[in-house]
Amino acid sequence: MRIELTDLTKTYKGNVHALRGLNLDIPTGMYGLLGSNGAGKTTLMRILVGLIKPTSGTVRIGGHDIASGEGKLAVQRTLGYLPQNLGVYPDLTARRFLDYIALLKGLDSRTERRRRINELLEVVALTEEADRKLKGFSGGMVQRVGIAQALLTDPRLLVVDEPTTGLDPEERIRFRNLLSQLAGDRTVLLSTHIVDDVAQTCRSLAVLAKGRLVFHGDVGALVSRAAHQVWTVTTSGPAPTWGRVVSALPEGTGVRYRVIAASPPDPTARPTDPGLEDGYLALMESDRLTHPV
Amino acid sequence: MIATMRYEFHMQLRSRAMWVVYALVFTVYVAVDRSFFTLYLGRGVEGEPKTAMLALGTMVGALMPVAYGCMVADRLVRDTRLGVAGVLDTTPTGQGSRLIGKYLGVCAATAAPIALVFFGRAIVFAVAEGEPTALGWASTTFLLTITPGLIFIGALTLTGPLLISPMIFRVLFVVYWFWGNLIYPAMMPTISGSIFDATGGYMEFGLLSPERDPNVIPYGPYPGAALNFLRPVASPTVAFLWLGTMLALAVAVLALARLHLARKAT
Ligand SMILES: Nc1ncnc2c1ncn2[C@@H]1O[C@H](COP(=O)(O)OP(=O)(O)O)[C@@H](O)[C@H]1O
Ligand SMILES: [Mg+2]
Repeated sequence: MRIELTDLTKTYKGNVHALRGLNLDIPTGMYGLLGSNGAGKTTLMRILVGLIKPTSGTVRIGGHDIASGEGKLAVQRTLGYLPQNLGVYPDLTARRFLDYIALLKGLDSRTERRRRINELLEVVALTEEADRKLKGFSGGMVQRVGIAQALLTDPRLLVVDEPTTGLDPEERIRFRNLLSQLAGDRTVLLSTHIVDDVAQTCRSLAVLAKGRLVFHGDVGALVSRAAHQVWTVTTSGPAPTWGRVVSALPEGTGVRYRVIAASPPDPTARPTDPGLEDGYLALMESDRLTHPV
Repeated sequence: MIATMRYEFHMQLRSRAMWVVYALVFTVYVAVDRSFFTLYLGRGVEGEPKTAMLALGTMVGALMPVAYGCMVADRLVRDTRLGVAGVLDTTPTGQGSRLIGKYLGVCAATAAPIALVFFGRAIVFAVAEGEPTALGWASTTFLLTITPGLIFIGALTLTGPLLISPMIFRVLFVVYWFWGNLIYPAMMPTISGSIFDATGGYMEFGLLSPERDPNVIPYGPYPGAALNFLRPVASPTVAFLWLGTMLALAVAVLALARLHLARKAT
């Protein structure tokens, strides 16, 4: 499902500009939405899933204008949504919770529901815990229940908002892989402030900063934003003052710094291949210069 | 709507907090009013199941609704507090039908302990007195004097916390319950004893038991009370007017809540 955003803005009460004139086309497949906290990712996602209305601009999803009642309903019929900080009813078991959401999503046939829920419990590896109450579940398990409920109707559009925050490294990797496998011919929109999540799962992405779209395209294009700007400096003296230090790793008696800078930060600096994180940081750096506020 | 009703009913019915709160209120109430244990339940008209059941209704209906209102109060807003609302609100099932489903399921489950106490006592009465008709009167009393008030305050307490926090709302609700339903109308301006009173006085004295002790003032305008224009003399017509008022208030409150929820999605 293709998502087309035109001049999308959202201003909250108190003149908080959460989105400032977004124009973006999101194709089918896995798509990353990267941005620091407060960039507007959740706001954008809540608009896409029909929880809040934009202040101005239009959203078309699979050809449906979501400003209209029918358009919104058509999208919600084929939507899976995993909100940021999903919660659950503590006294229901995982199975009963999924059953309730399935009913709300219009899976009326009991046998069909049971089959689908068993299938998904398998997918998210919760079959063993299915009949335990949700109050005993860890954050990662709740997230997996969350992805299972999002998949109940085999949606064409899957919107997941910061699903990896709060997961331990293993859970996180498992969860990312699960998402990638799900992409296939659906649109999976993954928001995160963790560059690595996008690097490991998406070919295309958009970057939001303070409500503006500062980049969209494929991962390679973002990486190349930092081309010829990444250096390593190994020194036992003070840290380089020119450029932005992205990492500092003790090495022998000195420290090896990774620095992003337009020109060599030090006479001994050696150029290095950039990664996605470098591209992102270079992008944010240049954005800070063009949009200081 | 049916799904929400079923799930909300089961979740509330299995909530331990609800049963604990009811147990506390019940303990307080039987400690204050021992007549719960005497067979004629304080009215002392021997061999009269109707009077006994009406007296039981008055007793149970005086304090138990406090627990009812307090336990209903967080059920709507907890969806947001728990973080489930985002998922529920993006299903194709409309907000309106989920609100009605929740209202019916939560209120039915929360009323269950009241029904248990009421009918439990009625059965004891029927068996002890050998008066099976008491069960008929018990059902009539519960349906006509207690249920209408529960229908109204269920709507009020379910949706009120959309505007203020559930804890503050509960305090206000308890104050409202004593002020608006239990105090003597002469004490201060109040809707107690009026057509807006959620206890079933009008139903009892207007329809079910109009024959009152002639030494007692008729149910209706209260000597020395303000707002007596809201207290017509009890009659069958007024009893049904009261019933209609309770239902209309419930519908109005739910409709307002529906509008409020729709407006919030901006
Ligand atoms: N309901 C709200 N009312 C007012 N401001 C909000 C609301 N939700 C988010 N904001 C503000 O909008 C901006 C974007 O927030 P959000 O979309 O949550 O960003 P992100 O998900 O990228 O962290 C932030 O400045 C945030 O404080
Ligand atoms: Mg967010």
